[in-house]
Amino acid sequence: MKTIKRKKIWQYLFLFGPFLFVVGLTSGLVSGNWGAISLAFLIAGIVISGLWLLWQSQKSNWWKSRSTQAGTNALVAILAVLVILGLINFLGTRYHLRADLTEAQLFTLAPQSQELVRGLQQPVKIWIFDVNRNSQDQELLENYQRQSSNFRFEYVDPQARPGLAEKFGVKDYGEVYLESGDKRQLVQTVNENERLSEVRLTNRLQQITTSTTAKVYFLQGHGEHPISTGEGGISQATQGLSDKNYTTSPLNLTENPKVPEDAAVVVVAGPKRELFDAEVKALQNYLDGGGNVLLMIDPNTDPKLNNLLQEWGVRLDNRLAVDVSGAGVGLGPAAPIITDYGQHPITKDFGQGISFYRLARPLEITPVAGIEATPLLRTKPYPNSWAESDLQSEKLEFNSDQDLKGPLTLGVALDKKLSAKAQSIPTLTTSPSPSPTSEGQASPTPTTSPLPSPTPEAQTSPTPPTEEKSEQPATEARLVVLGNSDFATNGLFQQQLNGDVFLNSVTWLSQQNQQLLSIRPKEPNNRRINLTNVQASFLTLSSLLFLPLIGLVTAAVIWWRRR
Amino acid sequence: MGIVLSNIIAIYRRELQSYFTSPLAYAIAGVFWFIAGLFFVMILLGPDGILAAVTAIDLQGQQLGVPVPPIDVPYEFIRAFLDRMGWLLLFILPILSMGLYAEERKRGTLELLATSPVTNWAVAVGKLLGVLTFFTTMVLPLLLFEAIAISGSNPPMSPLIPLLGNLGLILLAAAILSLGMFISSLTESTILSAVLTFALVLLLLFVDLIAKSIGGPVGAALSHLSLLKHYNTLIQGIFDTSALILFASYIFLGIFLTAQSIDALRFQRQ
Repeated sequence: MKTIKRKKIWQYLFLFGPFLFVVGLTSGLVSGNWGAISLAFLIAGIVISGLWLLWQSQKSNWWKSRSTQAGTNALVAILAVLVILGLINFLGTRYHLRADLTEAQLFTLAPQSQELVRGLQQPVKIWIFDVNRNSQDQELLENYQRQSSNFRFEYVDPQARPGLAEKFGVKDYGEVYLESGDKRQLVQTVNENERLSEVRLTNRLQQITTSTTAKVYFLQGHGEHPISTGEGGISQATQGLSDKNYTTSPLNLTENPKVPEDAAVVVVAGPKRELFDAEVKALQNYLDGGGNVLLMIDPNTDPKLNNLLQEWGVRLDNRLAVDVSGAGVGLGPAAPIITDYGQHPITKDFGQGISFYRLARPLEITPVAGIEATPLLRTKPYPNSWAESDLQSEKLEFNSDQDLKGPLTLGVALDKKLSAKAQSIPTLTTSPSPSPTSEGQASPTPTTSPLPSPTPEAQTSPTPPTEEKSEQPATEARLVVLGNSDFATNGLFQQQLNGDVFLNSVTWLSQQNQQLLSIRPKEPNNRRINLTNVQASFLTLSSLLFLPLIGLVTAAVIWWRRR
Repeated sequence: MGIVLSNIIAIYRRELQSYFTSPLAYAIAGVFWFIAGLFFVMILLGPDGILAAVTAIDLQGQQLGVPVPPIDVPYEFIRAFLDRMGWLLLFILPILSMGLYAEERKRGTLELLATSPVTNWAVAVGKLLGVLTFFTTMVLPLLLFEAIAISGSNPPMSPLIPLLGNLGLILLAAAILSLGMFISSLTESTILSAVLTFALVLLLLFVDLIAKSIGGPVGAALSHLSLLKHYNTLIQGIFDTSALILFASYIFLGIFLTAQSIDALRFQRQ
């Protein structure tokens, strides 16, 4: 009696096996780390269950029966197949072929991003301090991760790991940080309306992996667009620049008529009043010393820059560029739409993209020896666009005696090689040939040249060689003239390619060859479905009525016949 | 090999015949077509459909004079439609797969099959092919509707993405049917088989959510099991071999387990 009772109790004790196993599993899963406690529970559970199995098999000898043998065979086979399938899938995720069939390559990283991530030298980690994981964001990050094993990302709940959140200085849910070595940087804050953007991430990534910053000055004092938020400001443009690792600051040439040494680019954005002669002189000196200037000059203004521009072979036309083709998309005739871009680093990626310029003035370019001029923005040919001189009359029409036929040039990029005497003594420099910004062609091949390379890898900002401290002096001066400044103001900056025209211009001007040119955010093709009424009603009727009826009636007929 | 193939074809033909002479199959097809048609019309032409919504956005853009952000209407439509179709499969396919073996068991013909010289493999493959063919026939008219809708797109859309999406639909169906076939081979009750298949497929669709809350390598492995995740990859227009491998694994696993379960049955009856 006693032994039987004890045996019975023992039997119940074995129930602890699965119980402990489940306890260990749950505690491990819930706490998220497999510490000693959960492992101890798991092991105890497995041991007790194993003992039970042994005991049971000793009691009944069931393993000797044929059905058990067959069952074991089947079990082993099933386990083997599961393991094999698991391995195949594991390998399948490691070595997989992935092709993006969408026409706009919506799920593929821009070549610039791919190149950057592939070339990562040290581990970089993205921390997303958020509880809910957006699948779109995750997909983007996985796309990055596929390029390089040096790129990792992790979602963190700031509530659950306050120490980590404090280390990064997290203030809100959705903040995304980039960490590389001991450097940490905020990328952006993601929320319902704003998803993680490849443009920002790639640029931050570049920022954190390269250490150069270049300074862009915005001339102020003559009614130029202020570097502030709000209508008419160009804060979005300056934000775009700082995203690309530029620092921006206002420049006032009346106090000290000399462009600061650390200026990489000077931007003159839409002056309304004339500049003092001394200011123009300062800009001229700056250009002569290998400076870079972006001039954006609106119609009906005269900033008195004609002397300077004349040297470069550019004349500002006083007429207004008119483009009547834009009415279909809601742009008036005074806002020319540009789809025709020159072959130039600034515009080479634009293709047939659109940018538009409200109230623009055409430019007239005459070739000057030693200066290479590339028209950047060309309006449509004549019947669609012309330069209008009579702005008072109500009706816009072409008058052959006063008006100029299109295509008009609204922007030009100019490039002047500096004469050798203006430069410091040529030194034997070993310089890698600058690799083009995108596509990842041509790995840098070191070439030893007795002359400074024609396009320096400007590690420091180009400064006039006379006051230089830099190792590689500028060998050319660059100037971009645009007949409009409105396109870069807040609100219009983000539309179409407008922002890229500005950012790429500054990037090219800054002579920093390793700077990436702007990446366009991925946009789907613009496509509509135009169904005729006949098609629409055919689709409705056949899919809702005829087809289901065919099925149901056939079913009824067959059923009736069988009866 | 040739014998196995001819066996498969024989089983396949027998299955197909039983579908095309069964009132239940036609009734299922009718209901499926009605629901799918409802989705189709609601998503495309309905008052809240994609055409009406985009027209409203275009109009608004014209009135305010703001350029409208680009919208790829046919692409969005195909994606939305196939996404709903994926959910519809969840309800329709267990009904198609429930009778595959359970019916035979009930009628007592399973013993014949199990002890016949035809291997269990061949039977399972033939049955799966049969039910998959029936399902594909059900999808074909919808493909025609999609083609008509896309033919109206301007500028024209390449048929690559819709084709990939529909291939994904068929693959998803094959995976679910294969698993459903296995469950059907376990039980005599068709209803139980349908319910269990539904539960299993629901679990496989939602395993992604569970995986997200776990995180880490375990979570990554679990989320890879998700049918819906890989289906979404395909209907988005991304051709990914790992998704194809996963679907193939499910199909193979279903056939293998079915063969094993019938094998066990053969043994038990001996």
